[in-house]
Amino acid sequence: MYLILLSILFPAAAGLFLLIRGRTPLSGEKGNTDRKTLLALTGCFLVITASLVFASLLTVKEGFTLFFLTKTLPIYFRIDGVGRLFSLLAVIVLPCAGFFSFAYMKHEERESRYYGFYLLVFGVLNGLCFAGNLITFYLFFELLTLSSMPLVLHSGSKEAVMAGLKYLFYSLCGAYAALFGIYFLYQNCDSLTFTADGALRASAITQQGGFLLLTAFVMLLGFGVKAGMFPMHAWLPTAHPVAPAPASAVLSAVIVKAGVLAIIRVLGMFGRDFLRGTWVQSGWIILTLITVFMGSLLAYREPVLKKRLAYSTVSQISYILFGLAVMNETSFTGALFHVLAHGFVKAALFLCAGAIIYKTGKTRVEEMRGIGKEMPLTMWCFTIASLGLIGIPPTGGFVSKWYLALGSLESGLPVFGVLGPVILLLSALLTAGYLLPLTIHGFFPGADYDYGSLQKKEPCKLMTVPIFILTFLSVLIGLFPNLVDGIIVMAAAGR
Amino acid sequence: MIVSVILIPFITGILIPIIPFRKRWQKEVFLETAVVLNSTLVWYLLLHHSDSTFLLAHFTGNLNISFRVDGMSMVFAGLVSALWPFATLYAFEYMTKEEHENVFFLFYTLTYGVTLGIALAANLLTMYFFYELLTLVTVPLVMHTLTREAVLASRKYLYYSLGGAAFAFLGLIMVIVYGTTTDFILGGVLDPAKTAGKTNVLLLIYVMAFMGFGVKAAVCPFNAWLPQAGVAPTPVTALLHAVAVVKSGAFAIIRLTYYSFGTDFLKGTWAQYAVMSVVMFTIVYGCSRAVKETHLKRRLAYSTISNLSYILFGAVIMTPLGLVGALTHLVFHAVMKISSFFCAGAVMHQTDRHYVHELNGLGYKMPCVFGIFTISALALMGVPGLAGFVSKWNLAGAAAESGNPLAWGGIACLLISALLTAIYMLTIVVRAFFPGKDFDYRTVSDIRDPNWKMLLPLFVFTLFIILFGVYSQPVVDFFMSVATGAV
Amino acid sequence: MDFICNFPFFSILLSLFSGTVCSVLSAKAARIVNRVVILAVGLMSAALLFYLLSTGESFIYWMGHFPAPWGNEIRAGVLEAGMALFFCIIMYLSMAGGAHKLPSEVVESKHNLYYILVNLLLSSLLALVYTNDMFTAYVFVEINTISACGLIMIRQVGRTIEAAVRYMIMSLLGSGLLLFGLCIMYDLTGHLLMSNIKESVELIVANGEYQVPLIVSVALMCTGLCIKSALFPFHAWLPDAYGYSTVSSAAILSSLVSKGYIFLLIKIIYRVIGFSVFNSTRMIDVLFVFGLMGMIFGSLSAIKENDIRRMIAFSSVAQIGYIYMGFGMGTQAGMVASIFHILSHAATKSLLFIAAIGLTDVSGGSRKFVDLTGAAYRNKWAGAAFTVGSLSMVGIPLFSGFISKLLFAQAAVQVEGKMLASLIVLGISTVLNAVYFMKTVIRIYTSEPEAPYEGITFRNMRAYAVTLVCFILLNIILGVSSQPVVDMIGQGLAMFA
Repeated sequence: MYLILLSILFPAAAGLFLLIRGRTPLSGEKGNTDRKTLLALTGCFLVITASLVFASLLTVKEGFTLFFLTKTLPIYFRIDGVGRLFSLLAVIVLPCAGFFSFAYMKHEERESRYYGFYLLVFGVLNGLCFAGNLITFYLFFELLTLSSMPLVLHSGSKEAVMAGLKYLFYSLCGAYAALFGIYFLYQNCDSLTFTADGALRASAITQQGGFLLLTAFVMLLGFGVKAGMFPMHAWLPTAHPVAPAPASAVLSAVIVKAGVLAIIRVLGMFGRDFLRGTWVQSGWIILTLITVFMGSLLAYREPVLKKRLAYSTVSQISYILFGLAVMNETSFTGALFHVLAHGFVKAALFLCAGAIIYKTGKTRVEEMRGIGKEMPLTMWCFTIASLGLIGIPPTGGFVSKWYLALGSLESGLPVFGVLGPVILLLSALLTAGYLLPLTIHGFFPGADYDYGSLQKKEPCKLMTVPIFILTFLSVLIGLFPNLVDGIIVMAAAGR
Repeated sequence: MIVSVILIPFITGILIPIIPFRKRWQKEVFLETAVVLNSTLVWYLLLHHSDSTFLLAHFTGNLNISFRVDGMSMVFAGLVSALWPFATLYAFEYMTKEEHENVFFLFYTLTYGVTLGIALAANLLTMYFFYELLTLVTVPLVMHTLTREAVLASRKYLYYSLGGAAFAFLGLIMVIVYGTTTDFILGGVLDPAKTAGKTNVLLLIYVMAFMGFGVKAAVCPFNAWLPQAGVAPTPVTALLHAVAVVKSGAFAIIRLTYYSFGTDFLKGTWAQYAVMSVVMFTIVYGCSRAVKETHLKRRLAYSTISNLSYILFGAVIMTPLGLVGALTHLVFHAVMKISSFFCAGAVMHQTDRHYVHELNGLGYKMPCVFGIFTISALALMGVPGLAGFVSKWNLAGAAAESGNPLAWGGIACLLISALLTAIYMLTIVVRAFFPGKDFDYRTVSDIRDPNWKMLLPLFVFTLFIILFGVYSQPVVDFFMSVATGAV
Repeated sequence: MDFICNFPFFSILLSLFSGTVCSVLSAKAARIVNRVVILAVGLMSAALLFYLLSTGESFIYWMGHFPAPWGNEIRAGVLEAGMALFFCIIMYLSMAGGAHKLPSEVVESKHNLYYILVNLLLSSLLALVYTNDMFTAYVFVEINTISACGLIMIRQVGRTIEAAVRYMIMSLLGSGLLLFGLCIMYDLTGHLLMSNIKESVELIVANGEYQVPLIVSVALMCTGLCIKSALFPFHAWLPDAYGYSTVSSAAILSSLVSKGYIFLLIKIIYRVIGFSVFNSTRMIDVLFVFGLMGMIFGSLSAIKENDIRRMIAFSSVAQIGYIYMGFGMGTQAGMVASIFHILSHAATKSLLFIAAIGLTDVSGGSRKFVDLTGAAYRNKWAGAAFTVGSLSMVGIPLFSGFISKLLFAQAAVQVEGKMLASLIVLGISTVLNAVYFMKTVIRIYTSEPEAPYEGITFRNMRAYAVTLVCFILLNIILGVSSQPVVDMIGQGLAMFA
């Protein structure tokens, strides 16, 4: 119990500490020692938090109620399979990206503010993963939006502020749509504690079934905002490019997944049996497929690297959502697997993009000819990660897409059962189309490339090591899916 | 005893211009002592209330001026008397920059008594009496600066309020004629034998009276006076136009709906749907206007308009749970909004900046004020863990439970409004804390947080926002017992 | 028969006689005589009222002990005595309140005449209140008209002449119609004494004869009195007449003269035609509709007005609309409300006129709102009094206006069919009242940075201030303890029947 609380409160408190400590904006010219203490502190905090989370993942079995918000609304924590899976992702990606930022943020102002909010986000994410009922979850969901917004608008440019606000308002919009559903779930369930097989009262289903379906759809749409599901995906490509690269990595790999986590929770509350075969399912599948295809297409046309990756996220998250929407065991497993696979891969890709920007200042794809010659290590990681995203064996992406397609075909859904895999395949082709040219042009800049001015620009270890780790993990889970099999099976079974 | 709490503010207020205070602090001590004393008395009265009615005077016929402490009065009187000493403290500091202090404090203190009169009234006539009086004693406060703008605002306020009262009066008449008594009795006092066959007329008059009292609660289309009345000094805008005056309107509507006409008579009729639609519209309308508004205090005023309609929305659900929701928001919104208004006032007092776009970068220079402002903003949005969430939860829960499809739509309105609230509040926060890359910090270099007289109320209110957010159980339980008539 | 029964006769004769005496006295003596007479009449009425309340019965006083149908009769009930007392109070206060302005308003040589006219007016009002004879009533209506014209004209500013002529024409038209109605009634019944006419009318109605002439006669008498009491749309003469005459005249005219006619109408309704007969004619619907319209249009005109005195005058049109609306409801409750409103309006309107003069005095004599800015700071008593009057007009509890509004509304609810219309118009009219009165109140309390006019202190106008305080008290007494008054009105109406 205390471990869970600590893993939430410790990073939050540490973040607040950094925020309050570094609130004077006028001391722009900070001494080198000052920066070193800050980094050392942040590093310690990150490591401590990570170990706290691991400890709680391993030891805590029982749920507990912290206090009652109102008479019938407990703030309740419990670690179940799904939460464990997402927490695992977070606890790996966040420290990696955090250490990456130590190098990346060197030239930015107000570092302490950045790290402060970074740690806050870490704490809130832990809370989100460990939440045991819908209200607790909603609490952390809102806090996540609020605490991650400053990461987006960190640079303080007009564009960044607008993007941050856009992110904020889209997310809140989604959260409130979800809250609408929560009100009705509360009315029609005995409790809001998470379950995997439906908490609706039988009487409510018979009396207000139609309305409850509508509610479910509204909730899916609402939480789908965070997951970048069409039609509320527009914040994603705006927010990612303006945020610092490590922040984008976290945003894309973990925070967006909070939407997925939310949708899994909602599915559990309503029960898959209740939704299967209804218009909600069909509508939802249509939306996810549109998003999958559209995201890839937009990414294909996008010249700015980080924006391209953001569109790619839009598309890939909807792979996961498609897997959830099909609602059978196989596709569900695929979806959960893709959560991990995409998380590692996309974090690695964003960090690579960050390294490129940090070293060369290039943001547009066509400027990056010959980049492989300048930064070979980074680009090798980029290439491997790209393969993972496309879904080429032996990466994790292959395993997840295999399960997704298989599940879809097994489901026996009319039209979508077949159409789904086709679109997934098309999208994979497009993914190859928008990621591989970077590798190709990067390593084979063509005959007219000026080798004379070539400089080695490989970034420092603080940057490369996190990228390595993430890339390695993405391959690892592809080669040995059994490593995470246990946790995914537990999650899929709703334990 | 019950009359004394109304009279003490009156006497104190009248004494202020009469006693020749040598120094300012003497006046402050005198006033604060009186107000605190009175608040203590009120709380003593509320905690040791007996169920008896105190008859002050016969009016005409069976109408009389009398007072009684029941559940609703406990809520409202408790709220008002808890907030008043803090607001007075804040006013001392704020008014150092304004003129004719004595007149200000005279009417400010009178208003305290009148508001308590509304809260403690035992029947509709007494409430109506104090309701009208409230309009009159608050007009000088709005007019205080005597600028052209202030005069126009006070004029508008007066027209709207008196006009509203004229229609509310019709409701009073209906209750006098068709009711068994004008006393407040939970469940209503209409006599079924007399009302038979006149239902529609009564409903029409109810709607009129609702809109009439609704003027004070700034129901659309009668909301125009409230943003304009923001020209008043901030202690007035904060305490009166976010709590005492406007909530009197909401309080009166609750009295009218639950204690005079009775929910059994109104529930499910076209009248309920009519007023509910109006209220729902106001919820969204107020927020949208707040988003458009660039003047800080006026923006908050529009926000108040929307939030008042939250209360009314709870009230017109016409179930005990709805009343609980309404009461929760009545109290919690008071704390949240007064805190955000006081922040706005502190900014105006310290920097003389009035518009949202002038607030860039102030967050670092006034961390306490803007920190508190942020918390109140989050609370108003309804972030869980803060007071706003609990009240919205109760409101929406009541709406969902009522089984009334329109009320379900109302939940959607609440949420849209929450989103808009986020937009208009958080843009301010973002401006203050993230002024942008090329912001010149020298423009704000000589600005700092106000002194303790202003900060103390702010901290206390913030404490309560958080306290109510995480532990509202006893309060909500108490509201429940009020709504079911157990108190 | 007790000695006290002579009082009505005494008071009429006393005021008539003193009027005559005044013509040979000096101005100052005339003023004292005038005050003393009003006081004396007031005391007599008060005594009479107590006597009547204690006996609980009305009495009829035969003039010269000639019984009907030859003799002329005076009748006194609770309502009559109360009304006479009230008229005296208002008149005394109005005279006192306007006294300090008189030298500047009326040339020195005409002061006598002024007091003569006031005394005559009083006597005619008393006669209208007490008489039991239709023809006597008619005669005193004419006396009333003439003295009122004199009161308007005596100020001798250009517009007052015009106003007086207008008033004269309209009034004569009114009395002409009244006379016609009276003639027809006399033809139908052969009587002039009210009680006798009533018996005959009951017979006629019972037999179903002469329906048309009867209705025509009722309509003529009603219309005549409506014109004289400035019911909308016959109010064109009123703003000028009230707006430009001397203060006391305006106060008296607006609060008493028109009320005298209205009281006569009430007497005719109850004592001549009979309440139920009157209600069975369509007349009440007509009165009701015009009453409502008066309430709205009077207020609208007042809103447009830019002159404080004329604004108050237009407000009278609206208030008279209230009274006729009460008549139009055709119920006992409506009638009680109307009579109460007569009292409350009289008390309030004269207060407003007197207070307004205090305000204009400290604003360089200008009545334009622009100049009145901040006047309440320069003349605090007048400001407070004007505020009280305004609040009463708007119908704020504690003041008399609220009670009449309450009574009207309660009465309206009991009338099927007219309920919604009257309630809604009542509401709208309150809003309109609020608009123009509150606009003025805010205006007079808005201080200018440098006031262009001299202020005035309590010492300079002790009498004036005391008068205002009396008015305010009267208003609040009516507003707070209205129950005895309402009971008395009810009792009086019961005696009428």
